[in-house]
Amino acid sequence: MRRPTRRVPAPAIDMHDPSWWRRLIDRLRGPSGEVPDPEAARELFQRRYHALRLLLAANTRALKSMATMEQAVLSNRIFPMAFVRTHCTAVGVNVFKMVRNLDTLAPEKYSLLFERLQAIQREIDHEIAALPRPPDTPFVLPMSGISHQHLDVAGSKMATLGEIGNDVGLTVPPGFVITTSAYESLIAANDLQPEIDRLLQTHQRERIDELFVLSSMLQQLILSAEVPTDIADAIDDAAAEIGDPAADTTFALRSSALGEDSADVSFAGQYESLLNVRRTNLVASYLEVVASKYTPQAMQYRLQRGLRDDDVAMSVGCLWMVDARSGGVAYTGNPGDREDDSVFISSAWGLPKAIVDGRFASDLIIVDRAEPPRITSREIGDKKTKFILHHREGVRRSDVEEDLQRQSSLTDTEALAIAEMAVRLEGHFGTPVDIEWATTNDDRIVVLQCRPFSQSMRGLDHELPADTPAPLVRAGVGASPGAAAGVVRRVGRDADALSFPDGAILVLSQPLPRWAALLDRTAAVVAEEGGVAGHLATVARELAVPALFGAGSLDALEDGIEVTVDASGRAVYPGRIEALLSVPGVTPDSIPDNPIRKTLRRVLTHISPLNLIDPDGIDFKPANCRTLHDITRFCHEQAVREIFAFGSDASFPEYASKQLHHNVPMQWWVLDLGNGLKDTVTGKYVHLEDIACKPMLALWDGMIAVPWDGPPAVSGRGLASVLFQATANPALSSPFKKPYADKNYFIISKHFMNLQSRFGFHFTNVEALAGERPEENYLSFSFKGGAADRDRKAGRARFIGGLLANLGFETGVTEDMVTARRTNLEHQAVEDGVRVVGYLLMHTRQLDMIMNKPAMVEHYRKKMQADIEGLAED
Amino acid sequence: MAIAVLLVDDEETFVETLAKRLTLRRFNVYTATRAPRVFETLDENLIDVVVLDVRMPDLDGIEATQKIKTSHPLVEVILLTGHASMEASLEGLKMGAFDYLIKPVNIDELVYKIEDAHRKKVLQEEKIRRLRDQTDETADEAGSGASD
Repeated sequence: MRRPTRRVPAPAIDMHDPSWWRRLIDRLRGPSGEVPDPEAARELFQRRYHALRLLLAANTRALKSMATMEQAVLSNRIFPMAFVRTHCTAVGVNVFKMVRNLDTLAPEKYSLLFERLQAIQREIDHEIAALPRPPDTPFVLPMSGISHQHLDVAGSKMATLGEIGNDVGLTVPPGFVITTSAYESLIAANDLQPEIDRLLQTHQRERIDELFVLSSMLQQLILSAEVPTDIADAIDDAAAEIGDPAADTTFALRSSALGEDSADVSFAGQYESLLNVRRTNLVASYLEVVASKYTPQAMQYRLQRGLRDDDVAMSVGCLWMVDARSGGVAYTGNPGDREDDSVFISSAWGLPKAIVDGRFASDLIIVDRAEPPRITSREIGDKKTKFILHHREGVRRSDVEEDLQRQSSLTDTEALAIAEMAVRLEGHFGTPVDIEWATTNDDRIVVLQCRPFSQSMRGLDHELPADTPAPLVRAGVGASPGAAAGVVRRVGRDADALSFPDGAILVLSQPLPRWAALLDRTAAVVAEEGGVAGHLATVARELAVPALFGAGSLDALEDGIEVTVDASGRAVYPGRIEALLSVPGVTPDSIPDNPIRKTLRRVLTHISPLNLIDPDGIDFKPANCRTLHDITRFCHEQAVREIFAFGSDASFPEYASKQLHHNVPMQWWVLDLGNGLKDTVTGKYVHLEDIACKPMLALWDGMIAVPWDGPPAVSGRGLASVLFQATANPALSSPFKKPYADKNYFIISKHFMNLQSRFGFHFTNVEALAGERPEENYLSFSFKGGAADRDRKAGRARFIGGLLANLGFETGVTEDMVTARRTNLEHQAVEDGVRVVGYLLMHTRQLDMIMNKPAMVEHYRKKMQADIEGLAED
Repeated sequence: MAIAVLLVDDEETFVETLAKRLTLRRFNVYTATRAPRVFETLDENLIDVVVLDVRMPDLDGIEATQKIKTSHPLVEVILLTGHASMEASLEGLKMGAFDYLIKPVNIDELVYKIEDAHRKKVLQEEKIRRLRDQTDETADEAGSGASD
């Protein structure tokens, strides 16, 4: 049974005096008439304060994580799924702690919040879960039955190749695909996913050294896994069925991960392909290809493109190894100019590896699509080296016969046939394509790979000033257009990569695909070898990093000198050439909503929106908490109310608080939660000099720092009169139907202050924590109401919001309400902020009345900004 | 008196490093890298706060939390994990864990959590001590009443 509220004269209070607690307990005597121990009341009070403090700290952390996620989704920054999981978990944990601490303050009163939290958590978990995999797929599928509808189980690379062979009717190597189902079984049988997740979670991939360490650990984890017998048997059976025992067939193992080679991402060369593998080594080689999911360049690439690690299941194509006479790549367009739809064919003797690795010189043949097609350009490279099949296993380098070195590696007929195949595939898939092909000794042309191809914008023409220094390098091909300046850093080994500085010029001998891991911190790339068709060139174009390849000797580019690389103009200049750098750059093909950002966006719909706005509205209840933000809002509001509801007695503050006395009794009451007063205070009043609470003293400082000269004029009775009028307007009824709404309360401890008050015709709440833990410190301020019409009240809210935003507050303005918050501050910074808020409380009291007079608004804005700067100087 | 913290994680290097850092912050640190040592250490020493890895080869952190809260109800448990999962974290908190931290650990944050957990424990202990005193008083009064 609840005791009826009754008014009693405020007794003399000394919270440090056991007799005070006994008197309090007398007041709080339960219906049974039992008198609890004063010591019990003190402990209870301390535990309640501790619960409030934990709740407020959890609130700060939850809001901080929410803000971090909201900023990430709106910005261009890249982030991994670990970021989403970490922040979701952090918000969830802190919201749970808020609910639990509210439950401590009001046992079982808001139990429904636990259920709401759990329901929202399930929704978030559902959003975060990886894509469901198609059930019951065999571990291997023959290429003869594969088409684009097998994308989910065969990966896009093999699904596309299957379609080319089966539906388009071009020649592709026979073989089979080890499906994503095998991958899932491999991971599950070895219980790898939790460890993979843990390693991804606990390493910071932004640091290149950590990325390399992490990559090595993850690859090692997979390489040491055991391939389940049923998968190993399925691989071996499929190889036996497809291979030609007489010819001792060997295989090419090609990665075909989900999400690879899709329209927006090429994944060019980021995963491992193993060539010329014997049947007996297929299973071990399969593991190697799977492990390459975690090469540094693949991980970095996924991060850059916002791809989820757990969506990338790895299937692997096992194809008959083609013993190529010549091989290479064809693009159905000029990689450096979207306006040019000629077919660009890069070709070399031997295996196409020479081209895609970007290692060796090659031929470039350009075919015009005119009817009939014709070769418009042929650049023959000096092809001294090629890759051929090793007689036992793998591939090896071999010298090109001298008479072939300067000879075209393709006949005109072959070049035109390749161009025709490429254009046909472009028509079939409805997008420009990039194909990898090989010619055989029996004069067949085999398609080995086909993926969408994105062209860059042509670099803009520019004129250089007359005093431009002579270039250090003038040779090569613009593999990715644009210009950039930076300090030269030559990289040859992985160890060099670890110390690669942000924004440097990456100088390479060979543009190998593995250096893609450095592209996100590289201003431009220059390589002695390679051309436009290598994997690194493809990724450089995707990321809009200027690249100049095949530039010959780069001895002039000494480590540490500053240069400007003009990839479009095929030159490198000493120093910074502003004329080049001022040319508008090429922007990367953006993926505005990549998979991870999309996930975060969906997750945030369960976290961020605030539906519980009005604490006194009938909808303000646990059942209506639809987001985690709603729960934090509800808990925060109710926690402060429950502090007042202590002892199930709404008149508790009457007993436990003291009236503030500053020359005259003020219309503020002070409720000390512990150590908010310097010493024992007896009597009904507390004086300012008794206050130990630093935020409260700072607020007071701010209120009185600058004499108030606005309307109405200060009466002869001075500040006390102003404050009295400000806080005790009897004509004003509170819009907040709180049990403590009749009075203005400071709830304080040494480092904490919560002020619920009215000033003039508006209502305000200031809450600050200014302790020794900057991470938990915060200052929040809300302000609502006024006496003017709606537009002018809203104008004042915007006015105050603008002033606070200039000071680094996160602000929000809704009609006549402004909210502002700052977090992560040293206590001194919180106190400085509170001082400004105190100043604003006093000086914006009736500003709503002049909000329709722009000149006056401007006058006050300037004056207040000057005053605020003055406060900072004090 | 220094706050007694028991660190439980199967990654020995991690435990050693964290133990050193917490010792520098004047905590009294015990460590365990295997499950049996956790309960031995709790039984043999006055531990205030256990910092426990959620996933160890021979120990399920959530179950261990429940066991610790049953056998040593006043000891507070802070769960530590490399697996950020909302579901698992809420499960741990429901089992009575004081908090749930995600690796890599921010040392300041961990210190705050340990201090907060310890403060909660002290407040609980005060309550129990007072209740015990009260019970003794009542028993004394009852005893003296009987002798009258």
